[in-house]
Amino acid sequence: MLAIPSSIITNMIAHARELAPHECCGILSGTEHTIADAYRITNILAALSEQDLTRFDGAKLTDLQRLSPEERADIAFQMDAREMAMAQRDIRSKGLDLLGFYHSHTFSPARPSQTDITIAMEFESYRAKLHLPEPFHLIVSLEHSDQPSIRAYRIRESQPTEVPIHTLP
Amino acid sequence: MIKVRIPTPLRPMTEGKSEVEIAGNTVSEIIDNLGSAHPGIKERVYDEKGEVRRFINIYVNEEDIRFLTGKDTPLKDGDEVSIIPAIAGGA
Repeated sequence: MLAIPSSIITNMIAHARELAPHECCGILSGTEHTIADAYRITNILAALSEQDLTRFDGAKLTDLQRLSPEERADIAFQMDAREMAMAQRDIRSKGLDLLGFYHSHTFSPARPSQTDITIAMEFESYRAKLHLPEPFHLIVSLEHSDQPSIRAYRIRESQPTEVPIHTLP
Repeated sequence: MIKVRIPTPLRPMTEGKSEVEIAGNTVSEIIDNLGSAHPGIKERVYDEKGEVRRFINIYVNEEDIRFLTGKDTPLKDGDEVSIIPAIAGGA
């Protein structure tokens, strides 16, 4: 179970809608199983060079290379590292934990893609060394634009498991 | 020697190794020496202006170098440097 204040759910959906058709992304703070705050982070994918794109691999890299820089952010996101670091510092200063990441899928369901899983595992490989708790991965789907959905997952050993969301007033 | 953690996308340049030992007194020296030992890696960490690329964070132990003294951050034996790409993903 993951508890999220309704204002933060509204905020994440608004963020996804504001950036559509580009994917939005952000960080969530909190403690244990309760989200306290959300930080919007810039999706810098369109600004990445051809060489930078190789931080993605496999089919996603091929797909990205086929698209124009502007179109790339429709199917992927890359968080701005500086903003992510600033958010992490703010989270720490408030005595909270980095509890999760969120991003939007503009045209597909709220399920982790293969790229989401691969990069979640990349994060997992260094997370313990940075003393960060296991994160929740949240996805906002605008596939049905009049009815956005949001789902949370734990991703362990490349297997996503949905975690029910409990909306707090 | 300083232990340097290499992220997955850069491991083809370190023969697949996730950690390498590099000599250096500052983060800047470590990245220079890493680039000499493993050609191509420095260009993947720095942009054309010599700044750390916008999707990469460098940590000394558990602290981001932006909150220390950047690339001039001094290092001592036993410190660990981690090169970590910020979270990404996609539909």
